Amino acid sequence: MSAALLEVSNLHVEFDTYGGTVQAVRGVSFSLEAGRTLAIVGESGCGKSVTVQAMMGLIPMPPGRVMQGSALLRGHEILGQKVINGKEIRGAEIGMIFQDPMSSLNPTMTIGDQIAEPLVVHKGYSNKKAWARAVELLELVRIPEAEKRAKQYPFEFSGGMLQRAMIAMAISCQPTVLIADEPTTALDVTIQAQILDLLKDVQKETGMALILITHDLGVVARMADDVAVMYAGQIVESGSVDDVFYRSAHPYTQGLKRAMPSNDPSIARNLQAIEGSPPDLFAPPAGCAYAARCPHSMQACERYAPQVFELANAHNARCWLQHEQSPHRVEGLYLGGRHD
Amino acid sequence: MWRYTLKRLLQGLVTVWFIATATFFAMHNVPGDPLSGERAATPEIRANLEARYGLDQPLATQYIIYLENFIKGDFGISYTQRNRQVNDIIREHFPVSATLGILAVMFAAMGGVLFGALTALFRNRLPDTIIMFMVILGISVPSFVFAALGQLLLVNINDLLGFSILPVAGWGTVSHMLMPALVLGMGTMAYLTRLMRSSMLEIINSDYVRTAKAKGLPPERIFAKHQLRNAIMPVITVLGPAIAAITTGGFVVELVFAIPGLGRYFVQAVQQLDYTVIMGTTVFYGAFLVFMVILVDLLYGWIDPRVRLQ
Repeated sequence: MSAALLEVSNLHVEFDTYGGTVQAVRGVSFSLEAGRTLAIVGESGCGKSVTVQAMMGLIPMPPGRVMQGSALLRGHEILGQKVINGKEIRGAEIGMIFQDPMSSLNPTMTIGDQIAEPLVVHKGYSNKKAWARAVELLELVRIPEAEKRAKQYPFEFSGGMLQRAMIAMAISCQPTVLIADEPTTALDVTIQAQILDLLKDVQKETGMALILITHDLGVVARMADDVAVMYAGQIVESGSVDDVFYRSAHPYTQGLKRAMPSNDPSIARNLQAIEGSPPDLFAPPAGCAYAARCPHSMQACERYAPQVFELANAHNARCWLQHEQSPHRVEGLYLGGRHD
Repeated sequence: MWRYTLKRLLQGLVTVWFIATATFFAMHNVPGDPLSGERAATPEIRANLEARYGLDQPLATQYIIYLENFIKGDFGISYTQRNRQVNDIIREHFPVSATLGILAVMFAAMGGVLFGALTALFRNRLPDTIIMFMVILGISVPSFVFAALGQLLLVNINDLLGFSILPVAGWGTVSHMLMPALVLGMGTMAYLTRLMRSSMLEIINSDYVRTAKAKGLPPERIFAKHQLRNAIMPVITVLGPAIAAITTGGFVVELVFAIPGLGRYFVQAVQQLDYTVIMGTTVFYGAFLVFMVILVDLLYGWIDPRVRLQ
């Protein structure tokens, strides 16, 4: 494996609240290679957004705190930094788009001005040059009549068009990484597909790497090269899309798949919800965070936190079932070929 | 935009007509009348006078005459002041009140926006605590107390320096205006500070400010381009009524600082039951308030494109 573009290791983030300290992210590690797409999936509150916001320095401190860990972009630490190699991290090295495009743009500023802004700030463009580039970027994200549209305000755009404008803004300074934090969650289904296609095309044209945060496995299958499944502030399984989908090695991944609707008529079945609810992150359990909901949980799972097992090249699972002495065989669960 | 302006002006005219009508009938129902002075007139003289001034006409006719005169801009003559028309009183004294009021509003708006933004940026830290304590004082202490304290402060400063940097009372030059305007604007400034603080706090946590941060903009630029303009909206909204309230409600401060504003005549007229002056000044103040609210509505549209373009 070549040196990764972005290498996050052992990231811990906490938040102080009135109820105590929430350990939102508990030792997340992943790597991202240039030009590839990494999807981070997991249910609400599992720490997906906090992970990327910590990298961008968008966590309000206080109450938030990055306890330990590092994030290296081309070998340079970005946690707690604003600038690496004379380039601003936010906006110039890493672009970011958000979940709700309706509220993510300034209502009293024209779309064109908002897209031009990072160019003026990071690249020192004149206002005129930045504006011209903003119009080009709007054309790039396939907004018709870009010239005219650039002069309009966010309330004159539809949700899908706003998300396109957000993408134009995020890629304006040609970042090496684009983070999309649930970019299609707030859009209706027909628009979702268009935005995903657009992201893919833009990625192809610019060669940037993409981190896609979502809880929609359909989006993952369509977009991602690699997947990291998060649960209760940790990555429980990671690997290529094929590994994670077809050789799922963690019961949580399995549970997510069973809860996903399928349009394959040969798989006629009811959706199965994962029973129970995620653990309290004020006081995370000593053992595996998923043990209480896991249908295959063993005694060891409740007592000892599982380590990460490498099953194949870059396919990892944080589950005791992967231990070589684990007696269990689980229907449908990939065990690194141990029981075959 | 022009249609909108025209529509607002027409609505304003209707409002002014309503104020004029309400004032007329309210005054008509006040016990006594202009002719029941201290020296009782004989019934014959009284009847002659009533006929002379049209007071024997039916109410509807009187109302029509009153409206006709108003449209012509004639508010009549004062009953208590020798040889003065209501128009003269307004013309001479309103500019004084208006100058003082506008200066006070400027103090209030600039101070309110500045302090409100500061408290929000330093929320729950020392500057916030200090300013919010002052705000409570500003809202709860009445203006005549501030006026007296302001004068006392000026007396002491002038005394200490041995010459007069600002006059303690009177009217005429810009230096006369500063202290009364500050005192007059104090309550409104405190109110606007609170308003600005809460609106700014909301915006600091908004999605688009997060976007601006993710774009890597420096904090000054985020403040100036993304926070201020959006946070200022609620302040603009209350500015219209505030201008009118300060301009019309300044008579206490005018009295303490011996400023020849309109407020004094307004109060005097009520005490002396000076019909024409009461009606004239009430309608004039009413029209002024309506005009200010319209002006602010138009300003609002200029700042917020959503209002302008819909």
